[in-house]
Amino acid sequence: MTLLASGTHPSVPSWWGVAASVLLVVVTVAVVVREQLGLGREVLVACVRAIVQLVAVGALLGVLFTHTGLPGSLLWVAGMVAVGARVAGGRGRGVPRSTWVAAIAILAGVVATLGLLVAAQVIDAQPRVVVPVGGMVVSAATRGTSVVLLRIAEESVTARRQIEARLALGLPSALAFAPHRRTALRTALVTDIDQVKTVGLISLPGAMTGLLLAGVDPLTAIRYQVVVMYMLLSAVAVAGVVASHLASSRLFDEGQRLLEPVA
Amino acid sequence: MLVLEDVCVVRRGTTVLSEVSAVLASGRCTAVVGPSGAGKSTLLRLLDRLLEPTSGRVLFHGAPLTTYDVLELRCRIGLVQQAPVLLGAVVLADLRVGRPGLTPDEAAALLERAGLEGLPMDRETTSLSGGEAQRLCLARALAVGPEVLLLDEPTSALDAVAAQSVERVIRSLVADGLTAVLVSHDLRQARRLADDVVVLRAGRVVESGEAASSEYLAGAS
Repeated sequence: MTLLASGTHPSVPSWWGVAASVLLVVVTVAVVVREQLGLGREVLVACVRAIVQLVAVGALLGVLFTHTGLPGSLLWVAGMVAVGARVAGGRGRGVPRSTWVAAIAILAGVVATLGLLVAAQVIDAQPRVVVPVGGMVVSAATRGTSVVLLRIAEESVTARRQIEARLALGLPSALAFAPHRRTALRTALVTDIDQVKTVGLISLPGAMTGLLLAGVDPLTAIRYQVVVMYMLLSAVAVAGVVASHLASSRLFDEGQRLLEPVA
Repeated sequence: MLVLEDVCVVRRGTTVLSEVSAVLASGRCTAVVGPSGAGKSTLLRLLDRLLEPTSGRVLFHGAPLTTYDVLELRCRIGLVQQAPVLLGAVVLADLRVGRPGLTPDEAAALLERAGLEGLPMDRETTSLSGGEAQRLCLARALAVGPEVLLLDEPTSALDAVAAQSVERVIRSLVADGLTAVLVSHDLRQARRLADDVVVLRAGRVVESGEAASSEYLAGAS
């Protein structure tokens, strides 16, 4: 019995290796039980869920890569956009039709980045590339959209007096809300900008780590990582700016009045 | 002149204003008074179209408010809120929020009108006292050239000295021909400032007319 898979790249664990990693779950459970954190059951459920989900996704991706081609991959990405929209939309409670706002914003982020790079043939239009890279882009766009919607919903309540003071001076709603919209967008972007600043210094990013584990030369791996990194930052920027404009416009009625907060 | 005709406002199933009719004459200061929850601030928000009536209508110079462009209307009918809301980092920036092209000379004239002559344009707004901040809000509202000024409890967040300074400014603005609609829970202030009065109770007008002959205001000791 070997814990590394034979016939594949030596850094890929075998199923026995995966089974051995369950010992680490035992360590985690031991810690939470010993410290009486009351999280033992939750740790077990999370770990079982993770392996079931990953096996299912792995099997599904196998089918996707071999049988459905690019259309199937794009459908998969569309599914991820829908899930992302639901998650990010939930953060924007108080913004009318926040799920639709999130869907349009995330889709815009994906099309403007992944679409552009595929069209320019910077990355391959193959399922094996589109699905994982699409996943990273959707994830980044969802994160940015979530932050923007959350902050915009909060600002519309906490800064109501400032917004109405601007409206009362005859400013159109877009201008009356502009400082708050920019605050929301800035908040969404700073985290990703910080990540770009510290890349390689604090942690090795996901795409680069994956390529290194797969035996790719480090200087080749960074080429992919640079493209991915700029793509993710740009996905957050595009999704964030679209979400901020759409969400802001939905906070006001046609009479340039700020809507009442949701009870 | 602003006229309310049978105005009703229902919000979340609660009637806030019921069949309110009133005339707010030009060039005069009308105080809207009444106990808390009477609907005074709601009435003020209707006049600036920050709120729409559920039924009835509001007329401005004989035409329904809805016939005016809302942005133009809000320049003609200014609003000063209860507690000072400062929008710019420094005095000049704050004055320019509603009128970006305001020159320093025009800004100085506005400050003088608001009783803030000599206030440095680059003074940080966070360093202003409550009275100064509220008068800056008045000056900012005046910057867009309103005919009517809506004042929502403009001195309730201020101490007595600061309140007096704001009252002096309001009195001089009305003397210069501006129409003022003052919401106040302070009946003595209403007596000091108002020419006319509208008394609201539970969303209904229970008295309106000249302040000098108001029974409600006469009850203020």
